[in-house]
Amino acid sequence: MGINADIDHNIVTDARTEGLLFRGFEKMLEGRNPFDAVYFTQRICGICSTAHSIASSMALEEALGIAVSQQGRYLRDIIHGCEFLQNHIRHFYQFTVPDFIRLPEGNALFETDHHDFRLPKQRNDRITRHYFDSLQYSRSAHEMLAILGGKAPHNHGIFPGGVTAPAAPEKVAGMRSLLLNIRRFICDQMIPDAYTIADYYKEYFEIGQGYGNFLTFGCFNGYEKLGTLYVDPLESGSGRITKLDPGEITENVYSSWYTAKSETDTPYQAVPEPDRKKSGAYSWVKAPRYRGLPYEVGPLARMWLCGQYRHGISSMDRTLARVLEARKIADILLVLLENVIPGVCIQKEYEVPQSARGAGLIDTTRGALGHWIKIENRVLSLYQIITPSAWNLSTRGPDNLPGPGEKAMIGTKIRNSDAPVELGRIIRSFDPCVSCATHVYSNGNFVKTIQVMP
Amino acid sequence: MNRSNDSCPNLSIRLETASVLVHKAIGAVKRNRIPRRNLIWLELTGCSGNTISLLDGFHPDFKSMATQMVNLLYSNSLMAAEGEAAMERLFGAIGGDYILAAEGAAATKDNGLYNIIGRWRGRPVTAYEAIQKFGEQAACVIAVGTCASDGGVSAARPNPAECVGIQSLLDRKVIKLPGCPCHPDWFLGTLAYFLLFGEPELDERQRPLMFYSTLIHDLCPRRPYFDRGIFASRLGEKGCMFKLGCRGPVTRADCPIRKWNGRVNWPIGDSSPCIGCAMFGFPDAMEPFISYDTT
Repeated sequence: MGINADIDHNIVTDARTEGLLFRGFEKMLEGRNPFDAVYFTQRICGICSTAHSIASSMALEEALGIAVSQQGRYLRDIIHGCEFLQNHIRHFYQFTVPDFIRLPEGNALFETDHHDFRLPKQRNDRITRHYFDSLQYSRSAHEMLAILGGKAPHNHGIFPGGVTAPAAPEKVAGMRSLLLNIRRFICDQMIPDAYTIADYYKEYFEIGQGYGNFLTFGCFNGYEKLGTLYVDPLESGSGRITKLDPGEITENVYSSWYTAKSETDTPYQAVPEPDRKKSGAYSWVKAPRYRGLPYEVGPLARMWLCGQYRHGISSMDRTLARVLEARKIADILLVLLENVIPGVCIQKEYEVPQSARGAGLIDTTRGALGHWIKIENRVLSLYQIITPSAWNLSTRGPDNLPGPGEKAMIGTKIRNSDAPVELGRIIRSFDPCVSCATHVYSNGNFVKTIQVMP
Repeated sequence: MNRSNDSCPNLSIRLETASVLVHKAIGAVKRNRIPRRNLIWLELTGCSGNTISLLDGFHPDFKSMATQMVNLLYSNSLMAAEGEAAMERLFGAIGGDYILAAEGAAATKDNGLYNIIGRWRGRPVTAYEAIQKFGEQAACVIAVGTCASDGGVSAARPNPAECVGIQSLLDRKVIKLPGCPCHPDWFLGTLAYFLLFGEPELDERQRPLMFYSTLIHDLCPRRPYFDRGIFASRLGEKGCMFKLGCRGPVTRADCPIRKWNGRVNWPIGDSSPCIGCAMFGFPDAMEPFISYDTT
């Protein structure tokens, strides 16, 4: 992706987030066997593939009238929780830390073009050690995932009805042991490291604030016996926190490279056609809206809406909410693992109806993810996907309201316009799931190119 | 579950191939017997899942590769440098010695405008252009994953971005490591082999025989069920999953012995069929992945 920013007297006066990679999954899914979507849609994203298998399974369950057993949900949510741990550890150490910590010289991977590194040597070195240590823990989070999910990325375990394989007792014990090690790393290294960085970069509590409109589809919630372990579907657009109504979601392609009969649609309406030459458009990312407004999604949104983090809304708060959420997820996984009954077989033979429709809405690592499907003649006739990054990096609608990522950058004071590190740090605080380069322009004049990690 | 395979000396030696090769290559670099060469990793149209899979590697692992075996000059996802400096480093490699690994397919529609990977000296650089420029001059080109190898999911019908595997754009040999994602052992083992001995022995689809010579079906622990005609009718059930759509009988990869993520499991071990993700034609030619009405 790119960022196109106007910088006037060291203040960002305007910013546009540009998604420059087209995938086209929604068109590809039309005409396919409905069950294949569970494995197919995972290929949207290598770091959050599990999320798509859950959303897809949920949409199929609604369409096919499949009831999910509680044991099925526990096992599925455990797999999903492993992905949260893998993602948050990788995003913090491999993508956030290099923004603030000077990594070892002499390795091409770690060379940077800015010098805003503020930690004293001893603290810097400590976090550098954890950068390398973290590789082992994010890897073991994926190992946990594979114990129940078969492999990662792109798992096989999550499927309509719950999961494919019953959990053997030794699997549950093996996962618990890996989990306790990961949790120790999160509590003893990752959370203290995030607070250390926050101490030396205090102005980032004022930078990148955005709208403060939060939305979640809920996750680890509504269990029959366990109730809600994390967060229910909620939103805070009106200033107070209320129940989310999925019927209020729309998506427009006003500033995106697509053409459609109607520029604003509800998810069950048509999927627009790609058109790279559309004038006035600047991104492949569409513009999802709730009651017509842009919303921020992700760990800060969830932690805020469920009342567990209320320090503030900014780039640094997003990072702190993410590492604190990692601990929260580890605790939830311990509860779920304790409630797993080994050996319960969940799967049945399913039949695809002539026509049906269903939605799968779930909060995942980066925020609210929705899959909406229609089935005609026993095959998929419509597949609509709204990703968390589409919410956060959304483009502008006819009202010209900036997307949440754009809004968070506008008004930022840039210390050194030759090396505007602030913009990359703001965008990375959203954990954008787009693998791409970010280009920063000043008043249309090329200033420099910066990179945003997926 | 798969103990019988692990105890066969031939199979257990194959399992060690990747770690032995990486260990040897690192030793040779340390003793200056071979140079520590540059590696460029390009992400084209795909999900970056091969980068994540590489990070999941264990014996051999990513850290030893990046700090002791090669000089990882460019990886969009993993490098700390930001765009312009990063692109300068990428383009600075032209004319020098480097090995190219590419994941993702090349989008050819509208001259590659469906994937812009960066901007160099004020000009957008498409993935299409990058793979041609860097592919022609590399010492070796490795297609990592099914999209880079044959188009994969990125080229699934109706192929809206007109994606192709990188070989179609390069007039030179490409080593293909299909798999969605590519197993970290397959990549690290192939890279180490190239550093030590040059190109490994390849099959007719340019896949290294050391990883792709055997059908999944031939090593499958559920093979005895197939031979006796015992078939599963739903997921999670004992029995061969052929009638649920398993593509093990046509897919060449060593998943049954190597397994995934620290060798803890693999798709068939998880009571779900192989979907042929390492096969030419995946996904279109491998679908339906799951089917309940096969007789």
